[in-house]
Amino acid sequence: MKVIFIGITSLKGVAATMSFFKKKGSCHEAPTVASSGAKRVALVGNPNVGKSVLFNALTGAYVTVSNYPGTSVEVARGNATIDGQHFEVIDTPGMYSILPITEEERVAREILLNERPYLVIHVLDARNLERMLPMTLQLIEAELPVILVVNIMDEAARMGLEIDIALLSQHLGIPVIGAATAKKVGVPEIRAAIAGSPCSATPPFRYSRLMEGDISEVAALLKGKYLLSRKSLALLLLQGDDEVAELVRSTEGKGALEVEAGVKEKRFERRESFHLDLSMERKEIVKGILAGAFRVPQKRVVTFGERLSRWTVRPLTGVPLLLIVLYFGLYKFVGEFGAGTLVDVLETKGFKELFNPWITEVVKNLVPWVIIQELFIGEYGIITLGIRYAVGIILPIVATFFLFFSILEDSGYFPRLALLVDRVFKTIGLTGRAVIPMVLGFGCDTMATMVTRTLETVRERVIATLLLALAIPCSAQLGVILALLSKAPGALAVWSICLILIFLLVGLLAAKVLPGDTPMFYMEIPPMRAPQLSNVLTKTYTRMQWYFIEILPLFVIASILLWLGKITHFLETMVGWMNPVMGSLGLPKETATAFIFGFFRRDYGAAGLYDLQTQGLLNPRQLTVAAVTLTLFIPCVAQFLIMKRERGWNVALAIGIFVSTFAFGSGWLLNRFLLFSSIL
Amino acid sequence: MRCGFCGHEFAEAEGNVGCKNCPMSGGCKMVKCPRCNYENPPEPALVKGLKKLLARKK
Repeated sequence: MKVIFIGITSLKGVAATMSFFKKKGSCHEAPTVASSGAKRVALVGNPNVGKSVLFNALTGAYVTVSNYPGTSVEVARGNATIDGQHFEVIDTPGMYSILPITEEERVAREILLNERPYLVIHVLDARNLERMLPMTLQLIEAELPVILVVNIMDEAARMGLEIDIALLSQHLGIPVIGAATAKKVGVPEIRAAIAGSPCSATPPFRYSRLMEGDISEVAALLKGKYLLSRKSLALLLLQGDDEVAELVRSTEGKGALEVEAGVKEKRFERRESFHLDLSMERKEIVKGILAGAFRVPQKRVVTFGERLSRWTVRPLTGVPLLLIVLYFGLYKFVGEFGAGTLVDVLETKGFKELFNPWITEVVKNLVPWVIIQELFIGEYGIITLGIRYAVGIILPIVATFFLFFSILEDSGYFPRLALLVDRVFKTIGLTGRAVIPMVLGFGCDTMATMVTRTLETVRERVIATLLLALAIPCSAQLGVILALLSKAPGALAVWSICLILIFLLVGLLAAKVLPGDTPMFYMEIPPMRAPQLSNVLTKTYTRMQWYFIEILPLFVIASILLWLGKITHFLETMVGWMNPVMGSLGLPKETATAFIFGFFRRDYGAAGLYDLQTQGLLNPRQLTVAAVTLTLFIPCVAQFLIMKRERGWNVALAIGIFVSTFAFGSGWLLNRFLLFSSIL
Repeated sequence: MRCGFCGHEFAEAEGNVGCKNCPMSGGCKMVKCPRCNYENPPEPALVKGLKKLLARKK
């Protein structure tokens, strides 16, 4: 038997779709059987109702994922054996209605109709029963063999919602199963229902007399054989479904003209109000179906998660909450604990006191040539600089950062942050959607630059790329800077204010200079939840592993280049070139080395700054100026290459030149201001 | 897997695995959510192996 999970798939060729609607199936006709002899079961429903969880519970590990023919939408298929019967389960993308709007919904409908499932399982969220039931009505009136799974019953119960499953089943005229698939509740019942003999039901509900009259008149004109019921097809025609109209044209032949005229007449009579009328009537039908079967408590129980969720998106409470999160998460945990305590243990005690003296002796004993010794254990040695920076300084910082990041991510805070900042972002030509690259930028700006391609307009992409290159420090850089500045009172506040002002000012100017409108932003907010320890640890481990694998070779290469620069005296020359610039910023000439490091990797530069600070070469003013300039400084090699790839040479070069000039200009101005005001 | 940003549930294989464009990393193996494109870390092979082992024992 085949179980089909309905999802969203795209449809490129209308002609290809046509055949799917023909030859209406019923429980008396044999459903499509996969080449393996298994019956197909389709899972359908809105996104985020637990279809994939159910799919995994039914199919186990043996799953194939492939593009739906002629589209770029992927569909997962798996096998299930229940009571000795074989089923092919299809997990389709989410859909809101059988009248498709998106490419994904088209593919979902195509799967449903093309593969004519033995059974359609409509999965919905018990907490949003009223909103999701209209699609169940559509599936029933299409006369498809449907089972309704009311999922997430546990959460609904926690909110005080009461659902009488038996009564709901009676009202709908189809089997209904209450479930909490994430906890495996209801899965045996669903398996038993799949193994039973599903049959399409006669819809136990009716629209108003006027609506039914219109539908009947159009349905009566349809003479051909179709997969969907005539009533369902008539409704789709009246809603202006072009694919169905094309199908009817090809199926009805000469009679198609009469159908088209009938549809046109009805659509003209109702003008644009048909969609609204239909939605309102379906809403009324759903109300009737839920009468007695669904009870909302007099005083709805608002969970702590819901309350917290509201607080995070309202500016009055959301901004203070954000500041609390940043203070404890970034400043105390990443800055003080990660970049302070952990780095002190690993770098100072582990490397400088124990490992470096030992490895220096080993290398000196093994390698007789001083110049080669320098490559490994010299001032810029692969071990004494590259590996020490990577393991001793960067690793503990990114570990604490990614732990903090994963906790926020798993709690569902990020989409709320997107809503919170949407209004501010709109003033700089972006929308809340840009929170995705910005947040990822705190992990690694290179990756985040690639993610800007997901923004809707070119204007947004350019602004986001510019702001990432300029004012978003990567995790390691941020950690080191937080640790360094926390030791100088006021320095962190000056650095933060500078960065925020520059971010907003440059964004505002870019939005004024670049033509175009800011698009709309909307998204479905997932529920806020307590982070799961296993999830948080897994994500932190994976991110750390990826980061370390990426940076270690780069740090080694950078050490080799610096060693080459040193032995050829090119490094000295470069430092010499940068001396006047450093002088104008009020910085010691040694700081030039950190800026040269920074061009290889931002985090490498930050680690260089850390070294200078521990050597006592920078006072609080110089430290603040160096930190601001280095944060704004030209993006690292990798980020520059990605900018070039994503935005082209012209934009990448323009951003590179602007960012460098702006960084040193801001540093100079800040130094003047600090000298004049004597704040630090 | 569940997207860390929008909460969308999808199979790991469904995400656009890695980005082969990156000249420095040669593909970061991150799994992009098909709905919002947020980059999610894949489940480590070690964890997958342990889960399979536990599932077999059950």
